[in-house]
Amino acid sequence: MGTRDVYILGIESSCDETAAAVVKNGRTVLSNVISSQIDIHQKFGGVVPEIASRKHIENIMPVIDKALKDANINLSGIDAVAVTYGPGLVGALLVGLSAAKALAFAADKPLLGVNHLEGHVFANFLEDDKLVPPFLALVVSGGHTALLKVMDYNSFELLGQTRDDAAGEAFDKIARFMGLPYPGGPEIEKLALRGNERAIEFPIAKLDSPYEFSFSGLKSAVINYMHGAEQAGRKINTADVAASFQRAIVDALLQKTAAAISDTGLSEVVLAGGVSANKVLQADLAETAKICGARLVHPTSILCTDNAVMIACRGYFMLQAGIKSPLDLNASPSLKLG
Amino acid sequence: MLTLAIETATKVCSVALCRDRRIIGEYNVNAGMTHSVLLVPQIEKILTCCAVKKSDIDLVAVSIGPGSFTGLRIGLATAEALAYAWHCYLKGVGTLRCLAYNMPREGVVLSPVLDAQKGNYYQAIYRWQYGKIEELQPACVVGKEDLFSRIAATDMPAMLLGECDKLLQDKLPENIEAVPKEILRPKAASLAIAAIDVFNAETDKNVFGLEPYYIRKSEAEELWEKRQKQK
Repeated sequence: MGTRDVYILGIESSCDETAAAVVKNGRTVLSNVISSQIDIHQKFGGVVPEIASRKHIENIMPVIDKALKDANINLSGIDAVAVTYGPGLVGALLVGLSAAKALAFAADKPLLGVNHLEGHVFANFLEDDKLVPPFLALVVSGGHTALLKVMDYNSFELLGQTRDDAAGEAFDKIARFMGLPYPGGPEIEKLALRGNERAIEFPIAKLDSPYEFSFSGLKSAVINYMHGAEQAGRKINTADVAASFQRAIVDALLQKTAAAISDTGLSEVVLAGGVSANKVLQADLAETAKICGARLVHPTSILCTDNAVMIACRGYFMLQAGIKSPLDLNASPSLKLG
Repeated sequence: MLTLAIETATKVCSVALCRDRRIIGEYNVNAGMTHSVLLVPQIEKILTCCAVKKSDIDLVAVSIGPGSFTGLRIGLATAEALAYAWHCYLKGVGTLRCLAYNMPREGVVLSPVLDAQKGNYYQAIYRWQYGKIEELQPACVVGKEDLFSRIAATDMPAMLLGECDKLLQDKLPENIEAVPKEILRPKAASLAIAAIDVFNAETDKNVFGLEPYYIRKSEAEELWEKRQKQK
């Protein structure tokens, strides 16, 4: 008799996407439903927590229902319910978490509370069949920028993180400053395509710790540059600003990751989080990894941004290790990595 | 018919089980803990205590507001998911209406109120007649003065229920008093009966599409609309 297949229902509602997915044996995606709210938040220039929560409660059950139907499975055929319980917006998290707890309780299935950031790292297991720990992970999103050593499926060591702004946050803030629509990251990337990334030399923070990041100085430098040019009546080439700003962020990420590869001797690096969709970062990090003797794995675009597939995948490895969550699990808005 | 009722619109986390119109269990907690932590374990406990199997539940009733936005969403997400998993009916009932079920007494008007922040209240006015509830004034957001003048307009003795603690700190206008403390707060037993009264097996099948009855828009939307008008 072969081993039985394991089906995990994943649920995600930590920010502005309501998502549900079914994943088989931690590696095969059977369904992936994402209801994005980007259009709704655009007029406010960023995610409004109360509005995000309101959209989540409208969408949560239809999204879960669709994920089960797309996977051609019903709740009784599911082995466990995995759900993001942090980090994220508390009101948003509570919608997915409440639904997940009720489903797990109602159908007598284990509940698996998943750290959203670990989920992003685990998206890479769906990308690459051969990926196994230990490996290095660079997590870059709107809320986080961190280097993580993934020792095993359930043990992580935080090597370093940002002291101030996250990389994605810097992207969004600069985009807003430049009058680009929300979300800013992809807009800056698009604008940068037409610019010269060596036109302006923006600073990369020098820090004592080899794996820490800092982007607030860079953010100020870009704002100062634009103010200065404006006051002096110089015409600003916004494409050059976007390209040079992006270059400074990517270079900072490359430097620290290269140091971490050399120091740990790990031969695989994964990219995780919303900013991992950035094509310049993907290409340059692949190159840097190669030079350092390592291989880069990054998720396909759809798994870079928030989704429930990665949550189901993370949940699968928790279930395999016998890690389950109690039904009084609360949302943890500032849950940490490692 | 077995009804499970979930009331999380205020600080009280309350669940009840009801066989036809008879309350067989109610479990209320008002100890300042979050509904997210309490709710599912409370449901688990009441089913065990009442020896009710999950598969026996026919109807999940939920209090849909007005009330605490987050509390409403915790209750609704839980209720929707339970009804979905159990393939049973789901019914939402307005929280002010549920409060009026705390005291089904004729000869007075009932004015349930809930805290709407910044000195405002959600208020509706009901009356019981011939064993049936009648809505005299629909739910809306009012300040303290309007709250009392809406009651005075009924020209009947009235009783306050709900989150009226601040109103009770001052002397109440003539002909208005508060209900006894034990039935001041929302409770799931009242919700259960209120839900059964409006439940219709023919039309109440869809577990999707039920939304919290917020009354108020989010602050961001209110601000945005104000700015649009100024333009």
